[in-house]
Amino acid sequence: MTTLRTPDPPAAPPRPAGSARRRDRPAGRRRKSQPEAFAFLTPWLLGAVALTVGPMVVSLYLSFTDYDMFTSPKWIGFGNFTHMVTDDDRYLQSVKVTLIYVLISVPLKLTVSLLVAMLLNTRRGGGGFYRAAFYAPSLLGASVAAALVWRALFMGGGPVNEVLASVGWHTPSWVDDPQFSLASIILLTVWQFGAPMVIFLAGLKQIPAELHEAAAIDGAGAFRRFRHITLPMLSPVIFFNLVMEAIHAFQSFTPAFVIGGGRGGPADADLFYTLYLFEVGFQDFRMGYASAMAWVLLAVIAIVTAIVFRTAKLWVFYDDADTGGRK
Amino acid sequence: MRRTSEGRIRGEAAGRPVRRGFVALAAVVPLLLTGVAACGSDSGDGGDVTINFVWWGNDGRANLTKKAVELFQQKNPKIKVQTSFSAYQAYWEKLATQTAGGKPPDVLNVDSRYLAEYGGRNVLADLNQGAGKAISLADINPELAATGVYQGKRYAVPWAQNTPAMIYDPAAFTAAGADPAKGLTWDQFAEATQKVSAASGFSARGATDFGIFDTTLEIWLRQQGKQFYTPEGKLGFTADDLRRYWQFAGKFRDAKGASPADVTASYNTSPEQSPLGKKLTSSEFAYDNLLPAYKKANGKNLNVAPYPAAANGETGQYRRPSMFLSVSARSQQQEAAAKLVDFLINDPEVGKIVGTDRGLAPNLKVRAQLASAATGNDKTLYDFEAALEPKLGAAPPVPPKGAGAIQKLLQRTYEEVAFGRMSIDDAVSRFMSEAQKGLS
Repeated sequence: MTTLRTPDPPAAPPRPAGSARRRDRPAGRRRKSQPEAFAFLTPWLLGAVALTVGPMVVSLYLSFTDYDMFTSPKWIGFGNFTHMVTDDDRYLQSVKVTLIYVLISVPLKLTVSLLVAMLLNTRRGGGGFYRAAFYAPSLLGASVAAALVWRALFMGGGPVNEVLASVGWHTPSWVDDPQFSLASIILLTVWQFGAPMVIFLAGLKQIPAELHEAAAIDGAGAFRRFRHITLPMLSPVIFFNLVMEAIHAFQSFTPAFVIGGGRGGPADADLFYTLYLFEVGFQDFRMGYASAMAWVLLAVIAIVTAIVFRTAKLWVFYDDADTGGRK
Repeated sequence: MRRTSEGRIRGEAAGRPVRRGFVALAAVVPLLLTGVAACGSDSGDGGDVTINFVWWGNDGRANLTKKAVELFQQKNPKIKVQTSFSAYQAYWEKLATQTAGGKPPDVLNVDSRYLAEYGGRNVLADLNQGAGKAISLADINPELAATGVYQGKRYAVPWAQNTPAMIYDPAAFTAAGADPAKGLTWDQFAEATQKVSAASGFSARGATDFGIFDTTLEIWLRQQGKQFYTPEGKLGFTADDLRRYWQFAGKFRDAKGASPADVTASYNTSPEQSPLGKKLTSSEFAYDNLLPAYKKANGKNLNVAPYPAAANGETGQYRRPSMFLSVSARSQQQEAAAKLVDFLINDPEVGKIVGTDRGLAPNLKVRAQLASAATGNDKTLYDFEAALEPKLGAAPPVPPKGAGAIQKLLQRTYEEVAFGRMSIDDAVSRFMSEAQKGLS
């Protein structure tokens, strides 16, 4: 199973072809370049249609069928979708586990990555080394190797057990106990804070020093400067990281698959949504139901993202009041 | 991003501030792709016939099997065999995908838990018809051969024979005054596990908690004259039977004879990753042919013993098809495929190469030859099954569709009990309702 993550960190994303660009260029030149543009896009378009759009359409069709992979799909309308909410305890368990994971791991990871970025931002010498060192775990990303190491660290009699026992806290095998298992996966996720950290660091470096200086002269302490300068100036970057990390978290698969022993962990404590989807489709031969689950996940991610975008007006500060002249 | 004189964050290309409106929908797409992913396999070259052959197992088993395949190719120069293997769980995921993609391998390894799944959906060829008739079953125990028949069609032939058994550490049990190899009653076994646990200071328990094992539940039921599945493919036991079984297992756990919940939960089918393999317990219910793998993982000189018996002396053990070989119904090379299957189960030289890795050779003549020459672990297994032979019953009927998921369901629901998150009654009713849904 490959990773479900998009490559990160994305650099400044391209703006959708919008109003500003249209005004930049003479209309004639734009029209002329269109055929060439599409010619260059063709290989990508072919790939997108054959490998993405096509399968998506098929999976949308399958989500309304009962399909066991061996015999032809049988149309059952919304049967799969009603089954999820009315008759499948494990589905609800997977939703619960995933929501807990998203709600805890995302804020925690963003907080840690912001704190580390601020720490690195104050350093003068050796910053490059530390930046690389802190980013390294993220390169391992959703890798199986990192998850295997994590399992070895947190299993019964493993280093974590030993260290905690030496200070008097006797814990069971973290990865094999329903109370601790999800926590160990969240810790793994938080440990891989490098991607948002690098983006935060770039954002921090762009906050004009004179703002901090002026505030300091006016008597603002470190916390006030953080609260009233750093956070607002950084809010577009926080927004970006929040959206990306939330999407990743909803799709997280590999750590739960490896740490949970490929079956959802002890007593289904690590039954992530994607893990249950995989199990239903590829182990229980219910590919129609798995497709329906995939579409529900897509819809939920879209809705959550839309909500975050809506609330962005309330808390994301874009310092573009003075760019009017350029438009 | 680059930094401008005003210190704002700017888009690389246009020098414009980064703004809203871009989140990649593409992030979601790979997930959906998993729903339709499929892989194929290459087909022949030139005039020769090429067949694909897949099985599950570890590297050691793969080396033995590849040697056997090489021998087959030497004897049949016109047939080229392409092989691949995976671990048990990954094997089924891959096979399901290949099958859905319309290109199942020609010769495949099948487990009784999945025989109905694949046979019942016409993925497997009926070996009583056509090319399959070339496979000789003359020297195979008829009861064992019959285990590959589902709804009147021979979808598979047994590749080896094993039997459910107990793997244990003789030193620990001898010190506790018990000799499992001679056969214990459940009461004696319970007492011995407590002593073994106590002797280790409770760091290694006497037994891996068997509440999670479907095979042990099956043996326990058989000892009482019941069965796991009926011939019609329904559960052969009641909620009350399961409640009694879990209460029985719970006594071992409460008395600290069996493993604590977190150790039990770490079990994941492979001997290397099991509590006994990791030296966290001193005995575990498994299959006799896994003895070498357990020995290697555990490091001690482990041995194999029959299941503890019920008060009436019944052990409930049976001649189990360790695994099957099948030919794909969609194979274009049925004759070559059947030839390979026949070779793998009947050829004496193959028997010598593969030894008892999968269990005893299915062909009785080959088995007799090998038994007399066996040494080491092989000899242990031959002697064990030879001594048990008169007591072994016939294998139960082929498990129904959905049986592959029942083991995991049993493990999951029992863990709820072992961790104290659910009462036995609630866990039993969850098991029964999910099992009945999964098997219908």
